[in-house]
Amino acid sequence: MSTPTRKKPSRLRPLQIALGLAVAYILLLFVLPANKIAMHNYHLSSTQYHALAFIVLLPLLLIWLVAFYSYGKLEQYAELIQKTPEGSDFLQLARGVKWLAWGLVIPSLVGIILNSIANARHGFLSTALITVNYLSLIIPLIGFSLMRRGAQGLTDHAKIRLSMANMQILITIFVALGVIFCFFTFQHLNLHSLGSTDNPYYLPGWLLIVTLIVPYLYAWFSGLLAAYEIVLFSKEISGVFYRQAMRLIGGGMLGVIASSVGLQYLRSVSPRTGHLSLSSTLVIINIIYVLMAIGYVSISMGAAKLQKIEEV
Amino acid sequence: MAASKNTILYEKVVKVTHVYLGPAADRFIDRQVQNHLHKPPQEISPQDLLQLIDWIRVAVSLLTEDNEIVEEYAAQLRQLAAPKDASQTL
Repeated sequence: MSTPTRKKPSRLRPLQIALGLAVAYILLLFVLPANKIAMHNYHLSSTQYHALAFIVLLPLLLIWLVAFYSYGKLEQYAELIQKTPEGSDFLQLARGVKWLAWGLVIPSLVGIILNSIANARHGFLSTALITVNYLSLIIPLIGFSLMRRGAQGLTDHAKIRLSMANMQILITIFVALGVIFCFFTFQHLNLHSLGSTDNPYYLPGWLLIVTLIVPYLYAWFSGLLAAYEIVLFSKEISGVFYRQAMRLIGGGMLGVIASSVGLQYLRSVSPRTGHLSLSSTLVIINIIYVLMAIGYVSISMGAAKLQKIEEV
Repeated sequence: MAASKNTILYEKVVKVTHVYLGPAADRFIDRQVQNHLHKPPQEISPQDLLQLIDWIRVAVSLLTEDNEIVEEYAAQLRQLAAPKDASQTL
């Protein structure tokens, strides 16, 4: 029997990265010129605009910190048990959470820079929005796929089988989610001419369907399946203390995946404008952030408990 | 022969531990035996068991404040030595 490999802990590193990124984002927020459309819409001065943008974006920056801390804790645990049968599965889960965390940061940072360029040159707005839309799709898609692979590995190792009844429920939820999503998204398109780019996504309809809608549906199915498998594993795995820790991780991942899907859903159904927008969507986004934060905290707590089991 | 009996005892200890620590059970027992009894895990003998249970109780107390479950686990481990004694008394 091999004992787990112990690596030098790097507990604060992801948190330090997130802090650095958050500071960079705040600096960009205040240094880059205020958006003219938003200033005009809300009758704001440049200072007022920057202050308001900071307040609106503060919850997002806090989520970055929690998300990076969470993936750091899970990665630390996965490295601790990397030579055990379930080690590679936890590593995949940790990498998935890491991609989801980076999926919050990269589109925001790229977005603030590109939108600022679009603020000076209006012709650039379409490039900015298309880039951010694709980044918001691709990075979480990789995260969901990795989590799905990790979750599948865990259930396979534990010989836990997915029940047909639960799969039917999952597929029904997914189909309902997909149909409603298509309904709302198509409302923004000119359905008489699928080649027209006169829509908030600045893409021809056919390209939107093939490169955004279909990959989104695939990503959400992977995410939902991963969440289901992790929750199933956390409920059915043997070991009273192990199960307690896994339930925190399972519940946390369910929260993180559901909120990530919710965020992508909302930002697709209610397309980005490229500037500060104080609407009811903002309230819903903040509610989703709270759910996401609870999920990440739960993952951190579960990973800390699992790590303790390996250390006593 | 003694070594194989000890291996069976090790497997029984891991089996009981699996109920509490799941997939981490064998790693946990290996650590307790190596760190506190200073011998290869598969070589634990019935004479080592009580000392091992004391160390396990200390370790598990760090994972939970539920004393009842700690005692339940320790009692199950103590039973691993009990059946032989019981048959001798009959």
